[in-house]
Amino acid sequence: MIIPHPLLGPRDASEFVYLGDASLIDRPDPRAADALQQFHDYLYLRDNPAGEHRELWFHEHGDRSWLVVTRNTLTHEITAVELAKKVALERGRDR
Amino acid sequence: MADHALTAASPLAGYARTIGDVLLTEVGDYNLCSVAAPLGEDEALVDSFDVPRPATGQSSISTDGATRLLGLQPDQILILFRADDPDRAADQVAAAMKTAAYVTDQSDSWVLLALEGADVCPVLERLCMLDLDDAAFPAGAVSRTVMEHLSVIILRERDNRFLLFNPRSSARSFLHAVETAAETVLLQSNEPVSVRHRRGTS
Repeated sequence: MIIPHPLLGPRDASEFVYLGDASLIDRPDPRAADALQQFHDYLYLRDNPAGEHRELWFHEHGDRSWLVVTRNTLTHEITAVELAKKVALERGRDR
Repeated sequence: MADHALTAASPLAGYARTIGDVLLTEVGDYNLCSVAAPLGEDEALVDSFDVPRPATGQSSISTDGATRLLGLQPDQILILFRADDPDRAADQVAAAMKTAAYVTDQSDSWVLLALEGADVCPVLERLCMLDLDDAAFPAGAVSRTVMEHLSVIILRERDNRFLLFNPRSSARSFLHAVETAAETVLLQSNEPVSVRHRRGTS
């Protein structure tokens, strides 16, 4: 599988490490009243879609950037790749 | 402090060998420092050096050719140069910068192997997954990638000259992989044309 890196162009998937669902960016607020329930859901509850999936990949043997890759789990077709840093900032995270 | 007289030992003891049309040499007498921007101050690195800051995947070189900045990843660069005092390389980099950043001397962590010659691309094709065509990876291009299961930095200094940076701890294993690739290219170029045609490598 080839991942089209937004800065470096096409790179083989063996240069990357897979982390998981891109929703891991949305870490709950530990000061919330129901923080325990929120962290339970954050840690254990995942959708398992047959089709389009947004997921986090780390370019370990490369520029060490985190990417949000939109991949079809049925065909492995990759339709979008963004820097996770940019996605996190857009979602209101401070870094 | 005791007055030691220690001699630096390079990882491959000054290795140099010609295999076919490719000259392999260990590069010594260099210093390598990483410079990382503090969180949220990525732009600080841009104006920090007299040498222009390279984009990720590129390198830039000073007018005297003595200093090269390698753009390997966002928010961080590697500097390849020769320090006035090899024991104070990081201090020299920090003093040359206009803004504060995290400077780490990595000189002794790496082995630098230079590959030069007409057959350098056929040799690298057997090791490296990147597209090394002139258009995709021109002189000055740099990248970190995987070769022989090892994380390697590849820099194209000139058309037919590449520098490979490999962790010092695996210097000999990596050298073995490069030698094997170069010997394979040499063997195949010596085969009769009929054999090459059968293998589809002519």
